[in-house]
Amino acid sequence: MIMETRSSVPINNEWDIVQARQLGRQISREMGFGHVDQARITTAISELARNIYLYANNGEITIEPIVNLGKKGLKITSRDKGPGIKDIRLVMQDGYTTSGGLGAGLPGVKRLMDIFKIDSTLEKGTNIVAIKWLR
Amino acid sequence: MPKVVIKYIKDKRKEINEAWMRKMAEELPEFPNYRAPNQNLSNANDNFVDVIYTYLLNIENTDDVRDFIKKIMKLEVPINYLSIGLQVFRRVVMEVIKRSEKDPENLLELYEHTDRVVEPIFNQLIKDTTETWERTISIQKSELLELSAPLIPILDRISVMPLVGTIDTERAKLIMENLLQGVIDHHAEVVLIDITGVPVVDTMVAHHIIQASEAVRLVGSKCILVGIRPEIAQTIVNLGIELDQFPTKSSLQRGIEEALKITERKVITITEGNGKQ
Amino acid sequence: MISIQIELDDHTAIQFQEDLLEKIHETGAKGVVIDLSTVDIIDSYIAKILGDVVKMSDLLGAKVVLTGIRPAVAIILTDLGIRLNNISTALDLEKGLAKLKQDLGG
Repeated sequence: MIMETRSSVPINNEWDIVQARQLGRQISREMGFGHVDQARITTAISELARNIYLYANNGEITIEPIVNLGKKGLKITSRDKGPGIKDIRLVMQDGYTTSGGLGAGLPGVKRLMDIFKIDSTLEKGTNIVAIKWLR
Repeated sequence: MPKVVIKYIKDKRKEINEAWMRKMAEELPEFPNYRAPNQNLSNANDNFVDVIYTYLLNIENTDDVRDFIKKIMKLEVPINYLSIGLQVFRRVVMEVIKRSEKDPENLLELYEHTDRVVEPIFNQLIKDTTETWERTISIQKSELLELSAPLIPILDRISVMPLVGTIDTERAKLIMENLLQGVIDHHAEVVLIDITGVPVVDTMVAHHIIQASEAVRLVGSKCILVGIRPEIAQTIVNLGIELDQFPTKSSLQRGIEEALKITERKVITITEGNGKQ
Repeated sequence: MISIQIELDDHTAIQFQEDLLEKIHETGAKGVVIDLSTVDIIDSYIAKILGDVVKMSDLLGAKVVLTGIRPAVAIILTDLGIRLNNISTALDLEKGLAKLKQDLGG
């Protein structure tokens, strides 16, 4: 994979969620994603950033264009040093929530993006990578 | 040096050519029959080795190989003919070398050089043919997508989307986008999705249709699924797919009647004498 | 009957919820049209708030119709698996009001 410019937004409060989202919108537009895919990317960033804010308090969203075997894509990485996820299988189930939300967050992100990887250690934090390919 | 190999190939051209023809007849015994109806193909056999020679004489110029591949693809020669042809050429050249070169050390080196001579041709062949295929496939794919899913306004506030062909995930996404944008553009209060032309409705297709109708409801319109053939009704029930949240009708005509009812209208016959209503 | 056009952002969403309920209470409105045509994304959080607003308004005796949901927003809500099942929708403000009138019995 060849890395191009990457941008990061620290997530510490609700305003940062909006900022991460706007950055995602801007980069996906510049890369030439269609407007529905732009909205998918933006929504996925919103879900990931909100998860950081709700469960870990602080963390970081990184947005970067990538090229893999001639295919262009946008990679979103979400990193936090929060409590971690005890049962990943459980949080990936539709409708599961500990915050009183709709429980559509992480499974939703998986459906909005093409690639979704989650890696979490209790007491250490959570790393999520999601990629959308440019068609 | 590959030059030595090239010299062998040049000097023994006649021998190599004949051995190659003979071996090809063994490798592809069906080929002579295949060749029979088309006179040009016997030339194709000659040309193949000729082009290899032309290529070897002007090593810079790969256009000949490309032209040759184009020509031979027009003759509808199977690609494995080209691939086997090249392999056989290499083997024949090695045999010719073996017959004249007795020093095993030299022989080994010459074998290696033969590989190095044949490899670029082989690579060019693979590259050109796959590029041609990929281009063809991507053109067909985008054409298919364009043909995909028009939303047709048929009456004030009523539109129809006829779906034809297999629905995969990528098409489903496009259908969804066209459908919703069309609903907005045409102010369609009711959309009829006609699946008469969809050959198979499996769980995935049903899922896409259900999603589309949910999205249509969110933008403030209503979906009716029409054109359900008996065998599709059977699969839907057998697969346990729940379609009960949105109305279905057997035919487009029944769907239009329903759509008129929803928009509080109906079709009336104006008979003479009775005047208009 | 009241109609509102909003720009939903996270920090305004909760505020919007409070303001709307207050307004329903004050005016005794029986129907509300919320126009979302300027909202360019709805994530699961905002969807939850919208769903809650509808339920809460219902408790206060006001029926809510959502209008102007953009195609991209609708696609993403279905991608997310968010149904908003018991919420009425309409294409635009005019049709939303018509729907409310119909639902409220004229």
